[in-house]
Amino acid sequence: MIYEQPKCLPAGDRYLLIEFGNEMNLDLNFTAQGLASAAAEAKVKGVIETAPCFASLLVHYEPTLIGYDDVVREFSRLLGSLGSSDDIELESRLFYLPTLYLDPWTKACVEDYCAKIARKVPDPELLVQQNGLKDTNHLVRLHSSSEYWVASLGFWPGLPFLMALDPRARLTAPKYNPPRTDTPEGAVGLGGAANSIYPVATPGGYQIFARTPVPIWDPTGKRPAFEGSLCLFRPGDRIKFVPVSREEYDDAEVAVKEGCYDYTIVEYQKFAVRNYNNWVSKVGGANNARVST
Amino acid sequence: MIKVLKAGLETSIQDYPGRIGYWNQGFPPSGPMDSWSFRFANVLVGNQPGAAGLECQFLGPTLFFDADTVIAVTGADMRPALDGEPFPMWQSVAVRARQTLALGAARVGGRAYIAVAGGFANEERLGSRSTFNKAGVGGIDGHSIKAGQDLPVAEGRGTPGLLVPNEHRPDIRTDRTWTIEVCAGPNDDWIDDAGKKRFLSSAWTLSAKSDRTGFRLQGPEWTFTEKAYNKPKEHGSLPSNIIDHGYPLGAINLAGQTPIILVNDGPSMGGFINPYTVPSAAFWKLGQARPGEHLHFRLVSVAEAQRMAKQIAERCVREILVNA
Repeated sequence: MIYEQPKCLPAGDRYLLIEFGNEMNLDLNFTAQGLASAAAEAKVKGVIETAPCFASLLVHYEPTLIGYDDVVREFSRLLGSLGSSDDIELESRLFYLPTLYLDPWTKACVEDYCAKIARKVPDPELLVQQNGLKDTNHLVRLHSSSEYWVASLGFWPGLPFLMALDPRARLTAPKYNPPRTDTPEGAVGLGGAANSIYPVATPGGYQIFARTPVPIWDPTGKRPAFEGSLCLFRPGDRIKFVPVSREEYDDAEVAVKEGCYDYTIVEYQKFAVRNYNNWVSKVGGANNARVST
Repeated sequence: MIKVLKAGLETSIQDYPGRIGYWNQGFPPSGPMDSWSFRFANVLVGNQPGAAGLECQFLGPTLFFDADTVIAVTGADMRPALDGEPFPMWQSVAVRARQTLALGAARVGGRAYIAVAGGFANEERLGSRSTFNKAGVGGIDGHSIKAGQDLPVAEGRGTPGLLVPNEHRPDIRTDRTWTIEVCAGPNDDWIDDAGKKRFLSSAWTLSAKSDRTGFRLQGPEWTFTEKAYNKPKEHGSLPSNIIDHGYPLGAINLAGQTPIILVNDGPSMGGFINPYTVPSAAFWKLGQARPGEHLHFRLVSVAEAQRMAKQIAERCVREILVNA
């Protein structure tokens, strides 16, 4: 459900949570990001930062500079000025990430889990079964066909929660139960309807089936593509996984190690929600149903 | 320069309010858990209240000073001594070159703070010197201090012999029982009336599985409203699951049946509800509570919680200090 009126919920003495609905729906995330970007532009005194998530926006404010009621009023006003979600346009960089699908490292990780923790259908095969695909090649073709939307970042600094922008490429998968105790750095995974990339080796619960050799997390803060941050992505960025061979993967890994890897980033585009929605209705909105499994 | 002889238990450099402004990329603020004691340590040595100092957890470090300076130790009682001579906490103290400062195990409370005139001068990461140990960000090489390390200190001039009067210090409990303020929300409407009553009337035990990312509590079962069961599938299968959303710092995060208070190094988002939130003014109590101690929760309004934070900030200033 998309709420007629967003719900403003107090969260302690310094936060406000705004809920736009209670479902996984890209439109709700566009609204959250549109509001975050409007708030950044308006520079409301006392508003420190915002953090968009799938269907909500968390606002962090300084209570000595602005009261709770005034924060609610300011954000209601900003939301009103956004108009319908169709009118939202967002700055959106596009990242091309070299990706080795069905790679040996995630495969070994899944085998290790099966041997030590619990037996399960290997992750790529499970995705094939769950989504009615022909085989793992079909999985690779479909998964790499879409751009992915960075809906939010969290759980670990820089870990992106991604949603497939092409409704035809929307896959779903159950999460691991119990979770894995480890995941290779750079693994690409899917849980529920969300995709992700593991910035470092961490425990995890998503089905994993690919790996990228390029860092999305850099605690030294010195890689130019990171623009002074320690993580590559911001909410509202897009990612395209580019299937590569093992040789290309190894070459990219060497370039990363030698500090001469050039990220492919397209920065001149804006993401127009109206254009996107028009396109979705053309290519088969019917498959949208998949997202809510 | 200050040389670390013994590191203590995950002693870390922190500043206040920490790494602010990166919540949307998943960075927690870090910073001292008991910012009341921390700010006073800085004020005592003539620093800005938020300057970088050391947070000592349960067992303090041993440090060697290569130059004259002024220091102060506040917070949990770790029986600080200079070259073996005990000295009082909550006071600014002169240290001579080649003296050794040693803190022991905390007798009461959990966290002590060491401030040095000038403050620590490690490199800033995303605008803060605070250590986020789990991800290796800030501090020195991203982690808590280690034996053998040299800690850089900025130029500063402190006055020894200043004191924080008793009535302005936080009341670190010796009876192992704490009353922690909470605000209702953001997701209190997921808990039924019986569950709310149980939360506010029970003694919750602080679990040993607690650290700067989260404080786990042991106590009675939670019961839920209709909302927790009647929801779209993408929320997840447990009653306490919700579509991933942003977590406020201080959230009482309900992971299944286990409440976890998300503290300074906690996660920025996730898929569990937060029925209550501990406001910033009560964080010092969390910083001083020890595993096994009992926590009671007292409901306060947002406005009251904001007033309390303001009162603490107004105290942590130079004007409050008196001569020892």
